[in-house]
Amino acid sequence: MPLNIDWQQILLHLLNFVILFAGLWLLLYKPVRKFMNERRQKYEKMDADAQKKTAEAEESRAEYERKLAEADAEIEQKRADARKELDRYETMRKNAAEEEASSIVAAARESAAREKERALSDARGEIAGLVTEATEKLVLKESASEAYDSFLDAAERAEKKDGGNA
Amino acid sequence: MTKKQLGIFLTVVFVLLAALIVGIVLTDGLYEKDVNIQESMQDAVLHEGDKVYFFGMTVNPGLISAYLVTGIILLFAALVRIFVIPHFKTIPGKFQLVLEEAVGLFDNMAKTNSPHRNNFLGAYIFAAAAYIFVGTLFELVGFPWQSAAGMSVTLPAPLSDINGAISLGCLSYLVILVGGILSNRFRGLGRTLKEFSLPISMSFRLFGALLSGLLVSELVYSYLTLSFVLPVLVGVLFTVMHALVQAYVLATLTALIYGEVTEPYVKKPKQAKKHQSKSEVKA
Repeated sequence: MPLNIDWQQILLHLLNFVILFAGLWLLLYKPVRKFMNERRQKYEKMDADAQKKTAEAEESRAEYERKLAEADAEIEQKRADARKELDRYETMRKNAAEEEASSIVAAARESAAREKERALSDARGEIAGLVTEATEKLVLKESASEAYDSFLDAAERAEKKDGGNA
Repeated sequence: MTKKQLGIFLTVVFVLLAALIVGIVLTDGLYEKDVNIQESMQDAVLHEGDKVYFFGMTVNPGLISAYLVTGIILLFAALVRIFVIPHFKTIPGKFQLVLEEAVGLFDNMAKTNSPHRNNFLGAYIFAAAAYIFVGTLFELVGFPWQSAAGMSVTLPAPLSDINGAISLGCLSYLVILVGGILSNRFRGLGRTLKEFSLPISMSFRLFGALLSGLLVSELVYSYLTLSFVLPVLVGVLFTVMHALVQAYVLATLTALIYGEVTEPYVKKPKQAKKHQSKSEVKA
């Protein structure tokens, strides 16, 4: 063959390289690559775990913030309810006070009317006593029946006069 | 002038004088080596005069180099497997980092170029790159071996033997072909066969690159005047650089083409033809 090409030697070279390839693969390439892959997987797992924990922390924070917002809303709602209740109570107290005041005024008026009636009655009684006393004094001069008649006449006239004015 | 400056000055003068004397002596015709450079280079390519025995077969010295390189790499791998890998740490040390970088480089190269099928590819390009790199550096050792003629020969890089280069180039093509067939059946076969020049280009690229370094080294060593200092530079240029570049090139090319032939076929949607009426055309 030209250039000293020899098929037998080519096959011997091939055999040599196949032996080398098999040996290197088993002794060096495969174990080193296996170690590197395991280490990469370990770090990838660590990275995934860290990302998962970060996501969980983010989720917890969002949940906490949501609950905080809900609590704020609830507090605001309760505050509004309390304010409304207070307003209602104030209104109720005010109405009760007004009613009490009205009843007191009405009672006072009734009492005043009764007092006035009683005063008028007393005054009539006193007037009647005075008249009786004055009549008795007049009887000394005139007869009692005449005096009494004249008194009744005088009282009737006075009553008529009062009724006309009213 | 201080004592330090005086010392530097005298050292420089002494070095210059020594270099000049060596130059004058070596440029004398008396010290020229009388060898036939054509024969020397022809032997480096064809190995007609330096065949060696290998289990009763007469082979090129590059084959012995190949098996020695494989033995060295496998011994190293076994030692690493027994003593280093069981003590790997999560935070790697310097040596562990070098191993991880080497494996990770080719693993990532396989995954990047062939995202759909890359388990075997990563291991293959790792082994091929290790073989090319260590095999190329092997010629720096200058390991002696007895030729079939009873002479002493220096073992060359395995891939400076054209049979070694052809085997690696063809094996890479075979790996690509099998990957293509496993991934895409007949379509993968067609895609791989389309790259019919690949085994030849891969083989001769490796052979040419490694051989050029060998030839230049032979050329340099053939002249006594060039055999001082210069071989160090030439060795670095044509051996270390080739070791890195050729390992990277073969791994990248194999991964790239493997990725192309294993890529799943996606049927392109047919574009609906637009039928335009005459009135629409006029408009």
